[in-house]
Amino acid sequence: MSSDRSEISDLIVNFDPDSLARLPVDQTAVVEHFHKMGNARAARVVAQMPARNGALDPDAVDRLLVKVHREMQRLAEEFHHGRRLRELLVPIVQALRKNGIGQPIRMVDIGCGTGYAVRWLAMHGALGEDVELIGADYNTALIQEAERLAALEHLRCRFVTANVFRMSQPAHIYFTTGVVHHFRGEALTHFFAEHNRPGTHAFLHFDFQPTPFAPLASWFFHVLRMRTALARHDGVVSVMRAYSGEELAETARRSAPGFLCGIFGGRIWNTPLPRVFHTLVGIRPELRDDFLCGLGRRMPRMGALT
Amino acid sequence: MSLFLLYVLATLDGAFCGYRAAAGRSALIEKRRYYRRALLRGATLVQGAVGLSAILLACLFAVSSKRDDLVHDFQAASERMLAVYLPYAAIVLVALAIRTLPSVDFRSATSVFVLGPMTALRPFVAIAGVAYGILPAHRLPTRLAGIMVLALMFVVQVSLDRIAAREADLSLPAGLTG
Repeated sequence: MSSDRSEISDLIVNFDPDSLARLPVDQTAVVEHFHKMGNARAARVVAQMPARNGALDPDAVDRLLVKVHREMQRLAEEFHHGRRLRELLVPIVQALRKNGIGQPIRMVDIGCGTGYAVRWLAMHGALGEDVELIGADYNTALIQEAERLAALEHLRCRFVTANVFRMSQPAHIYFTTGVVHHFRGEALTHFFAEHNRPGTHAFLHFDFQPTPFAPLASWFFHVLRMRTALARHDGVVSVMRAYSGEELAETARRSAPGFLCGIFGGRIWNTPLPRVFHTLVGIRPELRDDFLCGLGRRMPRMGALT
Repeated sequence: MSLFLLYVLATLDGAFCGYRAAAGRSALIEKRRYYRRALLRGATLVQGAVGLSAILLACLFAVSSKRDDLVHDFQAASERMLAVYLPYAAIVLVALAIRTLPSVDFRSATSVFVLGPMTALRPFVAIAGVAYGILPAHRLPTRLAGIMVLALMFVVQVSLDRIAAREADLSLPAGLTG
């Protein structure tokens, strides 16, 4: 398999980049794309999806994506993603406060899906009253589900269907989970370049760490924990498409020169054992020392911030 | 004693099946009540299976001409089954105990190295336990009872999964319930 192998979830939805309006997706074209790539399994999954007049049924696609996000949330819960996110966000927020930035401090989860990370932070993050939590995604159905879930648990956060880099107020902190590998080639450069704007002070991008064992381990866990064929397929392909820490840090340094960038948490307890996820950290130079100090005993996990 | 231990293990297994069937089907953050209900449902459904097994055992006992021999055979089979199931249960329970430690790395490691693989092994362990229990048994009723218990274990798992799937579909937001 090549790292350019497509994920099903990338191809069964399409949005107008300006208006974010949902565009029809030709089922036959997607099926043929997967056949051409030699991926009969993905082609079969798409071929079995309901369609109307040749286009994938958007309601059926949304229903499937909501289910898939529930399954993904289960893995995030099992691997304590909320706590991992919090341990990096707290020192950044403290550094921002110390330097008088924010009030409120706005943090945005890009490609939040059904908003697990934002909702977890709203419930357990204890980040402070001056922190505004926002989740953003192109898919309105996922955003509506995130809003519904947040309302059910009376959480102080909000969700928007938007291109976050076109929002009227930029975020002080951007973060993502399992998103950066979706940006290929120049798109990744462009994505990091978008962070390089005056109001933004830090970013965190969590993604799979590519290791020789990762595809096998990912396959095992996705077969074991996921129920939908789409989640099982995309979970494994995600790991295969993931960027190495060096690739991510180098691209970010080149594209967002106003930030110091480095990889956090690549190894378990300073052993050669790799973590499932690693995190690209970007921070403004003036916040570096306060951030590192705020990491406390976790500071050795932070690679060189350059 | 061995029959009682098997009953306890079956109840635990049912509860964990209930948990697994519910996992990944609710997107709420606070799910303690949700999982408590799932555990309880699994443990309760197992009581039905245990009840059916008890009725079968009672019938086999009633029609048996050599009751003492049958009791002895049951006893020996259940002890052999425990030899397979107890170590498995102990590994799972130790891993769950480690998950109470306040370290995300320790907790995640239990998933990667123990709970995940043990979940994958569960069907094979279930079959191995019954096979090891009933193959050396010399009475046909013992073998029949073992096969029925094994079948019920899988029926409980499938039933719990179906119930959880139906509930999850009903909890989809209006407009997405297809």
